[in-house]
Amino acid sequence: MKQWIRWSGLAGFVAISAIFVLGWLFAVGPILKYSIERFGSQAAKAKVEVADVSLTFDPFGIEISGLQVADSAKPMENVIEFDRAVADIELFPLLLGKGIVNQVTLTGVAFSTPRNSSGALAEEPQGSQTEANDAVADSTSVTDSTSVTDSDKEQSGSQVLPTADELLAREPLLTEQRGRKFEQSLNTIKADSDSALAALPSSDDLATYEDEFNRLTSARFDSLQDFQQRKKEFEALKKRIKQDQKAIKHAQKVLSQGQDTIKQQWSVLKDSPEQDFNSLKSKYQLDASGVANLSKLMFGDSAGEWAEDGLYWYQKIRPFLISNEAEDESVTDAALMEKQRKEGRFIHFDSDRPLPDLLIKKAQLMVNLPEDKGQVAISLYDITHQQRVIDKPIRLVALGENLNGMSALSLNGTLDYRGPVGQERFDLLVQKLQLTDYSVGAMGLTLDQSQVDVVGQAELKAGELQATAKATFTQAAFSTKDNTQLAKEMVLALEKIQRFDINASAEGALSSPKVSMRSDLDTKLNSAFNQRIKDKQKELEQQLKRKLNDKLMSYAGNYQDQLKGMGMSDQSLDSQQSKLTNLANSELSSYKDQQKAEAKAAADKKRKRLEKEAKEKFKSLF
Amino acid sequence: MIAMLAKLLKALNSDSAPGQIALAFALALITGLTPLLSLHNVLIILIACLVRINFGAFMLATLFFSGLAYLLDPIAIMMGEYLLHYPSAQGLFGELYQSDFWRATKFNNTLVLGSLVIALIAFIPLLIVSRILIISYRHKLMVWVEKLKITKALKASKFYKVYQALAE
Repeated sequence: MKQWIRWSGLAGFVAISAIFVLGWLFAVGPILKYSIERFGSQAAKAKVEVADVSLTFDPFGIEISGLQVADSAKPMENVIEFDRAVADIELFPLLLGKGIVNQVTLTGVAFSTPRNSSGALAEEPQGSQTEANDAVADSTSVTDSTSVTDSDKEQSGSQVLPTADELLAREPLLTEQRGRKFEQSLNTIKADSDSALAALPSSDDLATYEDEFNRLTSARFDSLQDFQQRKKEFEALKKRIKQDQKAIKHAQKVLSQGQDTIKQQWSVLKDSPEQDFNSLKSKYQLDASGVANLSKLMFGDSAGEWAEDGLYWYQKIRPFLISNEAEDESVTDAALMEKQRKEGRFIHFDSDRPLPDLLIKKAQLMVNLPEDKGQVAISLYDITHQQRVIDKPIRLVALGENLNGMSALSLNGTLDYRGPVGQERFDLLVQKLQLTDYSVGAMGLTLDQSQVDVVGQAELKAGELQATAKATFTQAAFSTKDNTQLAKEMVLALEKIQRFDINASAEGALSSPKVSMRSDLDTKLNSAFNQRIKDKQKELEQQLKRKLNDKLMSYAGNYQDQLKGMGMSDQSLDSQQSKLTNLANSELSSYKDQQKAEAKAAADKKRKRLEKEAKEKFKSLF
Repeated sequence: MIAMLAKLLKALNSDSAPGQIALAFALALITGLTPLLSLHNVLIILIACLVRINFGAFMLATLFFSGLAYLLDPIAIMMGEYLLHYPSAQGLFGELYQSDFWRATKFNNTLVLGSLVIALIAFIPLLIVSRILIISYRHKLMVWVEKLKITKALKASKFYKVYQALAE
């Protein structure tokens, strides 16, 4: 028997095995580190860096130190980093190529931490860049849709009692449009009038005309030549007068047309403030429900941010949790047959311990809440991309620890991808959360303090979200920094409300859910505000009217003065025209007529003298 | 390859017990016919190292049977399918399946189980037949071969020089 045993062979076997094992032990760390960095970077589309990966032997597993995953959107920031992760791995399944991790414990987990160097990948393929842009676009669209729609915000904003100035600045006004046109017309007409008036004879010119006229008509003609000379001058004078008459007529026409245009545009402009006011009033009709829609104002933005964050992480994680079995099914039967013909196939039996390719039975991490509000111990169970193999969903249990400012925080969730349609469900519970100095975002309102209990559920099935949350606020106290009467009234109304609920819901496609918020706070405030809103409406209306009239007057400018001036000019022109017409209508009598008149005057004189002498002689007879 | 073949011939022509060479062939049947990277082959290699068999014969035979396995794999797979679905064996396989160790042996793979069973079935017959053949070779064939002209020609060849060098 002794000759059949070869102890040296056993030693050789042990030696060779030891070489294999030691080689593997030394190589596995760097290989794992390389794999995590390379494939992690591909998945995250940003640098994934690991300080060290080493094996542990009691229990068998790996330890990853100093892992940083850069944010592809913000290269100078890490999406997540942790100091240390210890994974307890089962050895035998590893021989089958199955990574069965009993427990992973992460310590020093932190999110959104700054980096010393850029986490952008050196050479990003075109395709992935496009995908990144798409992701950003998606994220943006998600932001648009989930963070309480912009139109809602704008509407709620507008209903937080805008000032008259804000309204006038926000809306295109007829008063402004027509006012600018009126102003332009006024300037044009003024320029035309000035030009026409400048062409008119001055008062000196008119006096000169009269003097000249008198000179030419009153003095006696000394001779025929004198007559002809004066006639020539008289004709020249008449010609000048007629030109001036024409200029005056043109000026009168310009002034008349200008006055008509101004009067017409003024009547249109005068109606504009009223039209603007009616338009603004119908568009910005204030009501109590609008002003008192505090619930959306208070948490609309926050809900949007939370939803955005949640969606970001969900989209990052989900692809790793979904089995690619569907893709595997696309492999042709012939190829599968060929593979099975060469390698055989595994026949699976019922088992209490089915082995997927990768299974993390339990993962634990501790996350610090912002503002030192405590920590959240997160436990994840049965993480695998092949849930059908283990027939268990992924479970999430998050519990608050060492909480500061709240008495309890828990989040339970299941991510079930066993069926043809994936289904995720989350339940959130927050108890006695102390809310302090929370800005409402309108009228300078601040929720100074309140205690909040939150119960929420969210279910996502086939990409359709259905989520509800109820937040109960107790011991609420509001204050305002604004000195407006309305803000003060609001605080007075809110003082009477110490408890209120906010019910939020989100329904529809995950990328664009319809978010709504309701609150009995709104209802309670409605009654308190109805009267106040009416007063405010009236006040706003008065302000609007006054401001619109101011705008009107600013465009009208010295319209009245100008119109008056044009009227006066018109009258003056009439007078000038009348004078010039009289002058123009006068005629220079002829030299022959003058002689006839002189002869007639001498004859008349002689006849009168003879009549007188005859009368005296006739008297002396009696 | 020539060296390995020379070693085999040396072993056949040496004073090694025919059973040691026959056992090497039989063990090689298992490592050759079944997928090499299987847990049971570690045990076979351990046996091959520990038991005084002709290791050269073992290596060469493993290569030979690996080539043969390409032809036999379809039959092995059918055998594995049949066995793993054999109704009365379901309980046993179900029990084994609960154990990580047995899962690590890939016993539930049709090729592994089928080829292993074929190898195990053929183990004893091959052991016996190869032992008989080796003895016959040494007593009859080797003497007859020595007298052949081709053998004499081969002895003058490079191959024989290698053989001689290894034999010394």
